[in-house]
Amino acid sequence: MEAPPVTVMPVTGGTINMMEYLLQGSVLDQALDSLLHRLRGLCDNMEPETFTDHELVYLLKGQQGNPFILRARRSLSHPTAPWHLRYLGQPEVGDKSRHALVRNCVDVATSHSLPEFLNEMGFRMDHEFVANGHIFRKGAMKVVVTKLSRILVPGNTENIERLSLSYLVELSVLAPAGQDTVSEDMRSFAEQLKPLVHLEKIDPSKQRH
Amino acid sequence: MGRVPGALQQTVDLLHKKLEQLGALKQQGNFSVDCETYHATATASGQPSKLLYVMHNSETPLSCMALFEGGPCLVADANFDVLMIKLKSHFQNAKGHKVECRGWKYRYSDFSIKVGTVTMNSSARGISAEVEYCPCVVPGDCWNLMKEFMQSFLGSNVPELPSVFTVKPEGLFAPSDCIDTMTQYLELFNKLRKLQMPGSNIRV
Repeated sequence: MEAPPVTVMPVTGGTINMMEYLLQGSVLDQALDSLLHRLRGLCDNMEPETFTDHELVYLLKGQQGNPFILRARRSLSHPTAPWHLRYLGQPEVGDKSRHALVRNCVDVATSHSLPEFLNEMGFRMDHEFVANGHIFRKGAMKVVVTKLSRILVPGNTENIERLSLSYLVELSVLAPAGQDTVSEDMRSFAEQLKPLVHLEKIDPSKQRH
Repeated sequence: MGRVPGALQQTVDLLHKKLEQLGALKQQGNFSVDCETYHATATASGQPSKLLYVMHNSETPLSCMALFEGGPCLVADANFDVLMIKLKSHFQNAKGHKVECRGWKYRYSDFSIKVGTVTMNSSARGISAEVEYCPCVVPGDCWNLMKEFMQSFLGSNVPELPSVFTVKPEGLFAPSDCIDTMTQYLELFNKLRKLQMPGSNIRV
């Protein structure tokens, strides 16, 4: 079949231009219990929620420019749940007055054929890891406390080794673009977690070694 | 949506009439199935890539189905459409290849029937007839019954057993799902796309 003409994209469904507002920090393993205790007190009253996920990071390399990155996540504790596919844009630059990192975000729930489908699209798995931990919510805010583990044998999520002696702490909100009051709420919440954890605006592109 | 040429519209009307004569009831609302075609702009390996089809069906309004012809399929939520926009430097949409199918729904006892007009780039290309026997999800257990029912309004135009079932390792006895339905629509769309239809390029 001849190559079809190139035109502008149409959109049928979905939510356009959702942004993730993010603050990150970490605590040592020894401090986990006191942090969880504090979070239980501050966050919405809900059943303690834990998770164990397997995340695969896929790259699509074009002829030029940076590779396109997609993250595919599946729950190991709920194997029948849909897979979660996530696109994260580059952090927005410029606005120094904003208290949180802001980046474009597309979340898609998918069927279990995702890895095979991404491969067919030309994506290749770059790295994978296991993330387990605790989730808390306060209104629209989400707090995730995660232990990251590397996978020793590719694809085998049983055979893992913890990456460090600390937990990653992330405070995030998903909101349509332009709702910058969100970052104010996040800052005041982060203040309440001090000195147990210092949540900061961290630019992931500056972390590469 | 484009206007439907007289001959096609007559056939659609005839099918509706036959269904109503059988005693089938027209359902509230209509149905639609659409299909966008994407092609990879360049692959790292330099190999030609297959076309990627992204489809929607009004029967599953929160889902988006992505298919490679003969390859893996993905069922996702509607945000997949947004993701395709992000991917536009890698996958380009062939707008001229957009296919849509719209029409009415009928119900005859346990059968659900959808007769639609297939338009490609606003020009009518053909007619689709979807028949579902709702109480059963195993095609092999109801194919003969469906065939007999289809004969009652399609006459000699009853299709062969859809290949989507014959190519499965479990054959006819694996439950069918929304991907099986969409694969059949895609096959129909691709067949109609290749048809030469002089004089049918009517635009709104």
